[in-house]
Amino acid sequence: MKRAFTITLLIALALVLLNVMADLPPHGSAETPPYTHVGAYYLEHGPEETGSENVVTSVILNYRGFDTTGEVTVIVTALMAVIAVLTGTRDTSQEPDTAVTQIAPSVVVRFIVRVLAPFILVFAVYVILNGHITPGGGFQGGTMLGALIIALTLVLDERRSAKLIPQRSVRVIQVIAPLMFVAIGLFGLIAWGDYLFFPRSEELRPIVEIMLVLIEIGIGVGGAVVFARIFRLMAGRP
Amino acid sequence: MIEALWNNLDYAASVILFCIGLYAVITRNNLIKKFMGLNIMETAVFAFIVALGVVENGDAPIMGDGASAPFINPLPQALILTGIVVAVSTTALALSLVIRIWRQCGTIEADELREAE
Amino acid sequence: MTSWSPLLALFLVIPLVGAVLTPVVSDSSGRRSWGWAVFIMSVTSAMSVSLIVRVLEEGPFSYVIGGWVAPYGIELRFDEFSASVAIVCLLGLLAIVFSRHYAPQALTPERIPYYYTLLLLNLTGMLGFIVTGDLFNLYVFTEILSLSAYALVAISGEKTAEMAAFKYLVMGAVSSLSILFGVGLLYALTGSLNMADVTSRLAGTAHAPLVMAFAALTLGFMVKAALFPLHIWLPDAHAIAPSPVSAVLSGLVVKIGILGMLRVYQMAYGSGAIDLSGLNLTLTWLGAISIVMGAFFAVFQDDIKMMLAYSTISNIGYIVMGLGLASSYSLIGASVHVFNHALIKATLFLGAGALIHQTGQRTLTGLAGIGRSMPFTTAAISIGAISIVGIPPTAGFLCKWYIALGALEAGEPIFAVALVFGALLIFIYYIRMVNAFYFRKPQDAGAPAVHEAPLTMLVPVLILAALCLIMGILGRLPLSFIEPAVTRLLTPLGGG
Repeated sequence: MKRAFTITLLIALALVLLNVMADLPPHGSAETPPYTHVGAYYLEHGPEETGSENVVTSVILNYRGFDTTGEVTVIVTALMAVIAVLTGTRDTSQEPDTAVTQIAPSVVVRFIVRVLAPFILVFAVYVILNGHITPGGGFQGGTMLGALIIALTLVLDERRSAKLIPQRSVRVIQVIAPLMFVAIGLFGLIAWGDYLFFPRSEELRPIVEIMLVLIEIGIGVGGAVVFARIFRLMAGRP
Repeated sequence: MIEALWNNLDYAASVILFCIGLYAVITRNNLIKKFMGLNIMETAVFAFIVALGVVENGDAPIMGDGASAPFINPLPQALILTGIVVAVSTTALALSLVIRIWRQCGTIEADELREAE
Repeated sequence: MTSWSPLLALFLVIPLVGAVLTPVVSDSSGRRSWGWAVFIMSVTSAMSVSLIVRVLEEGPFSYVIGGWVAPYGIELRFDEFSASVAIVCLLGLLAIVFSRHYAPQALTPERIPYYYTLLLLNLTGMLGFIVTGDLFNLYVFTEILSLSAYALVAISGEKTAEMAAFKYLVMGAVSSLSILFGVGLLYALTGSLNMADVTSRLAGTAHAPLVMAFAALTLGFMVKAALFPLHIWLPDAHAIAPSPVSAVLSGLVVKIGILGMLRVYQMAYGSGAIDLSGLNLTLTWLGAISIVMGAFFAVFQDDIKMMLAYSTISNIGYIVMGLGLASSYSLIGASVHVFNHALIKATLFLGAGALIHQTGQRTLTGLAGIGRSMPFTTAAISIGAISIVGIPPTAGFLCKWYIALGALEAGEPIFAVALVFGALLIFIYYIRMVNAFYFRKPQDAGAPAVHEAPLTMLVPVLILAALCLIMGILGRLPLSFIEPAVTRLLTPLGGG
């Protein structure tokens, strides 16, 4: 009964939405407003104004850098929220989820992960550092790094996997993404008078590259630590 | 209308995906399955936004050697990067709440929880 | 200093950095994180004063981040509606001060620094929402404030809190998705994300996607504002959250839905591309139903915070009805009520929090006779009660009067009737409350004496109660402040 009602409702919704989609500017044409307006400007002036050949990166870090600051804030908010919900619990029914440690991964899994780990690490660092030249960037590399830490947490014993995230400075490292972004933004403000300003002249291009890479590293390392910490918190470990 | 819809097939596909996700959110009882439905809906909206930027015979928007016009619009890709991160963050918080509910109530089925309230 | 444009960017960045650094600076007692949060919020409030002074002198101003030109960069825009940052800063600061004694009792010690972090992030998200001029930036800040709100509801660790937070989260996530979908559709139609730019490009675009875009945006914001019938997440969430959080949620976070609608209206009316009369009619009716239904359910609640939560639904109904009537009077009344209701609701929630903190009782029966042992707190709550009924010279009167006038101006007197009916119902339950506090006997005659609340809890409540009176006495002043913005809102670009 509920199911039939839901299905009818959804079919009606789908028909309305399909009607909307049919009236949109045709897919794939080069005359659509998105392509001719702001998008065209980014493609045309992106590399010369921002010093980044990857136009998506120049949109993320340069033109719409404030959105990205907001985005790394969202992920840090999620971490703070998870910490606030999962730690410091009062009830005694709390046992850590030992499923993670009880099912020992097989020898094959352990071996492969440990052998591949250095290569994954190198590739992740490469992706983070080259975000402005090739496809990639802070988020992409940071996700790889975070996934690596999670995989290692699964196969290593507790003592060693706890060392993957430095305990003393974790409170700073987990928020390094927004901090680094704001620091570069303030640097632009102090040096050139506008928040998050990247100089556009040719001579200052190396400085712009350093600023971009610093932000990418901040996002990469920060994002990785956030993902790894959320995983460990859900598994019941600090 | 079918003609126009066939041209915008990518958009139509994201609508179908969205409705499938919404169906899961409404009808599934298990809290985690509800949340997976929400993730499907979010993916549908991201697919829609990215599809907005596609140009016929377009190349990836990476200038460098060997790149040729026309290029695909970079702006939607930047938007959904943010969107994906937001979706992950919401999922992380939702799953943490589910973990706590599981530990305190012993169940994550919505009807059982409603009875227990 | 006031004319220094990048101040808008710093205004958002400083609470952001302060929020994420709170766990770093905190110690094991949680006392230092309180001091740090108060400091950060004070600095932010000082900056907001400077911004509001500037909009009073010059009118709306904007700043594009990164030295780009809008719409290629992200534009932050401060107009008269953005003056609501004042209430965000004020309530935020008072809620943080109030938490000094409240938090250690309501939360485990490990969670206290994260409580302040999440509160600061919530406030940052709201400030960003109010001053941004870019649609996608709006979405990002909505997510920041929503995620922190979900966590703050659950932070007390009770079973009911976590379930309320989960329900809030699912409905909030769907509504955020709806907002993103609307933004995507507007982008598909105009190719831009800047609000002013989109407004100028909307004319002549395809009709069905345009209507869908505004419908999706409205749906998303109305869930956030808890308009009937999308209000079901609110009572549990606001009642179960820690009291300072309830004050911020009921006073500020639900108003984000209203402000979002105002921004949508600015685009719709400004472009002249879409006829919103159907939408306005729906909103007016749903608002009227919310008024009556919220007040009706509030009458039957024994738990004081549940009663206040339903009262929020009722007052949001007033504001949405004002928006939907779309006449000059009703819009002015609705906009100022956003501010006034925030003050009143915060007085009530913080006062109730003080009562609960001192006595451990949450119900009207349990709190009977409390007027004797906690005279100042109860007096403040009574002032709040009078304000919310709308008796002059308190804050609630003039806005509701303006909304009623707007109903008459728009030629729909039935909504003025709904407004008066709602006010009567509110009158009943607040009389119940004041009666219980002052004129009933306390339950256990032998219970240990209850003291007045500590200063850090009492002073914010008294300040808020005083402001309720002051705002009422100031009368027409805030209304004339918001009038140019409303006039601009109702006049489409090019005067057509």
